[in-house]
Amino acid sequence: MAVGLTLIFGVMRVVNFAHGDMMVWGMYLAYVLSTRAGLDPYLGFALCAAALFVFGAAVQRGLVDRIVDAPHEMQILLMLGVALVMENVALLVFGPEPIRVRSPLGAATWYLGPLYVDVARLVTFGVAIVLTAALWVFLYRTDLGRQIRAAADNPYGALVIGTDVRRVYAAAFGIGAACVGAAGALVSPILPFQPSTGLSLSVTSFNIVIIGGMGSLPGAFVGGVLVSVAESLGAVFLKPSLKELASFSLLILILIVRPAGLFGRRAS
Amino acid sequence: MPHTTRRTFLRATLAGAAVVAAPLPLRAQPKTFKIGVIHPVTGPLAEPGQACRLGAQMAADAVNAAGGIRSKGGLQLELVLGDTQTKPENGRVEAERVVNQGARMLMGSFDSGSTAAMVSVAQQKRVPFLVDIAAADPITANVAKSVKDGQQKVQYVYRNFPTGSSFGRKAVQYFTEMFKEAGVSPKRVVLMYCNDLFGQSQSRGFQAAHKAANPGWDIVEVIPWPEPPSDLSTEVSKAKAAKPDIIAPITRPASAQLLLPELRKQRLDIMGVVSPGSPGLYEAGQIAALKEDLEHVATCVPWANFKNPKTNAVAEDFRKRSGGKTFDTNSGYSYDGIFIIADALERAAKLDDPDAIVDAMRKTSYGGGLMQYGGPVVFNELGDNPNAITTMIQILGGKPVAVWPKAAAVQKFVFPRPKA
Repeated sequence: MAVGLTLIFGVMRVVNFAHGDMMVWGMYLAYVLSTRAGLDPYLGFALCAAALFVFGAAVQRGLVDRIVDAPHEMQILLMLGVALVMENVALLVFGPEPIRVRSPLGAATWYLGPLYVDVARLVTFGVAIVLTAALWVFLYRTDLGRQIRAAADNPYGALVIGTDVRRVYAAAFGIGAACVGAAGALVSPILPFQPSTGLSLSVTSFNIVIIGGMGSLPGAFVGGVLVSVAESLGAVFLKPSLKELASFSLLILILIVRPAGLFGRRAS
Repeated sequence: MPHTTRRTFLRATLAGAAVVAAPLPLRAQPKTFKIGVIHPVTGPLAEPGQACRLGAQMAADAVNAAGGIRSKGGLQLELVLGDTQTKPENGRVEAERVVNQGARMLMGSFDSGSTAAMVSVAQQKRVPFLVDIAAADPITANVAKSVKDGQQKVQYVYRNFPTGSSFGRKAVQYFTEMFKEAGVSPKRVVLMYCNDLFGQSQSRGFQAAHKAANPGWDIVEVIPWPEPPSDLSTEVSKAKAAKPDIIAPITRPASAQLLLPELRKQRLDIMGVVSPGSPGLYEAGQIAALKEDLEHVATCVPWANFKNPKTNAVAEDFRKRSGGKTFDTNSGYSYDGIFIIADALERAAKLDDPDAIVDAMRKTSYGGGLMQYGGPVVFNELGDNPNAITTMIQILGGKPVAVWPKAAAVQKFVFPRPKA
């Protein structure tokens, strides 16, 4: 989830406030696929990613492209607007009830002595690693990936050497959205969702991305692990209702010690 | 036949004029009485909030169809609808807006946070306010106290809903009675709750009542979680470590969908899940989403009296108008709320004076409610209805059924739950 956000920010310097809502759309899509077509979300996530890719690219072409160079506050307003529209469309179409996708995998648990392993979470974790690795390979080993990184480093330079920067931006936004669409489908059997879930998901992914370093893929991954471990330990050692204290304290700590994040490059 | 003289003609004309003139003051009054009805229609609590709104609308339609407020010339009720978006601070914003739009009474607003915010508007602008749903004790108690201390003159806030503390008292009582009836003696109860105003107030009420009643079972661990949660596995592990006989959760719809599957996944060996009372454990949408995870879950909630044929008729109508939803606590108390307001308006000496409406509210003794009451709707010195009580319901065969107290029970409860 955070990987998508960091990609979009890293390339375009646009903070995608609609990120959580895109994830919720991914979840609803997984829900529709599972209830209408009987497709398990652990298979359907690829379709959700594809759909969100198209959606993300369209949002980029139609809206974000107009304000890539505008001041940050304009971008924030636009993306908040997109988030509002997405949340309320979901509300109109699916109603306000929290729902979850039912998957046989979602109910399974393995017991290893006193430990228990939630199979659904394990699978989600595995797929997340694979997707992040695939994305890394894509960015560093393919032409389009190199173009995306070039446009991220220096859009003007990329333009000079003949890169179609607009196309690259659309692709990057689409891939970012696809990541979060896949993430949404993958967690939909674990996490019940409703249209208003988007905001808290956005906040969590911002937290992760800032801890890991804006624009860094391994940073997003490590940040995600850190935040969840911090929350779990917080729940055990503090009160469970204070677990967010642990993750946000971590955020503050990182901002003080390494303002650019663990893997972030200092802004020039 | 006597012919018309000048005198009879004059007399007739004057009489006619008097007849025509007489209703004028009545006509000058607005044709409708506006009631501001505020609920969380969007945001995380949108599901119950929309049910409340529909319940209120159906009740207003029913009052109007039956001839409106008869003692006031068939005055019709008009609802000015408000939406808190599930944000506590919007209780105040929306209350001010509907009052500016002409609402002369307020009803709302489901969650204790926004209801508390509406209270200040009701007291400041002297708008009588009937709380249809909201359990936190201070909502009415604070106002009653400041009136008693002479800081405010009149209490404009009344509530027809069980208070947090009465939820707790009834829950402890029903727990103990049911254990006894079932012939078992669970010892260890783990209380888990969503850490918002509602959850805190519910859990405090339950713990206080437990302490006061000193029954044969203990609350061995209390585990709050931030609401809405994204994961409850650590919380459930913590509960499991306390070796509970009973899990007593206070949930919201979204957290219930996380909690119950987690209890199953971690295979807690318990006699049952029995809640001191919360949303999320019996609604149609929740049953559809949680299916077998909700089976045998019992919760202590304000419940509709389905032994009353009128309740079943309204429930059927509600099902049609809501697209298949169950008439429950939320829709039911909002429905009754409008009827209680209509009853007060009927008896009020005049409607242009809020204090006259308050007088009528205070003298309420309304027996036509569709919910399960312990007697007619009356308001005590705090402005609460002591006869608004809870019922223990249990999900049996995928349907919520009243199981305790015996007088309200439609079916016998299943406890301890069958081993999986």
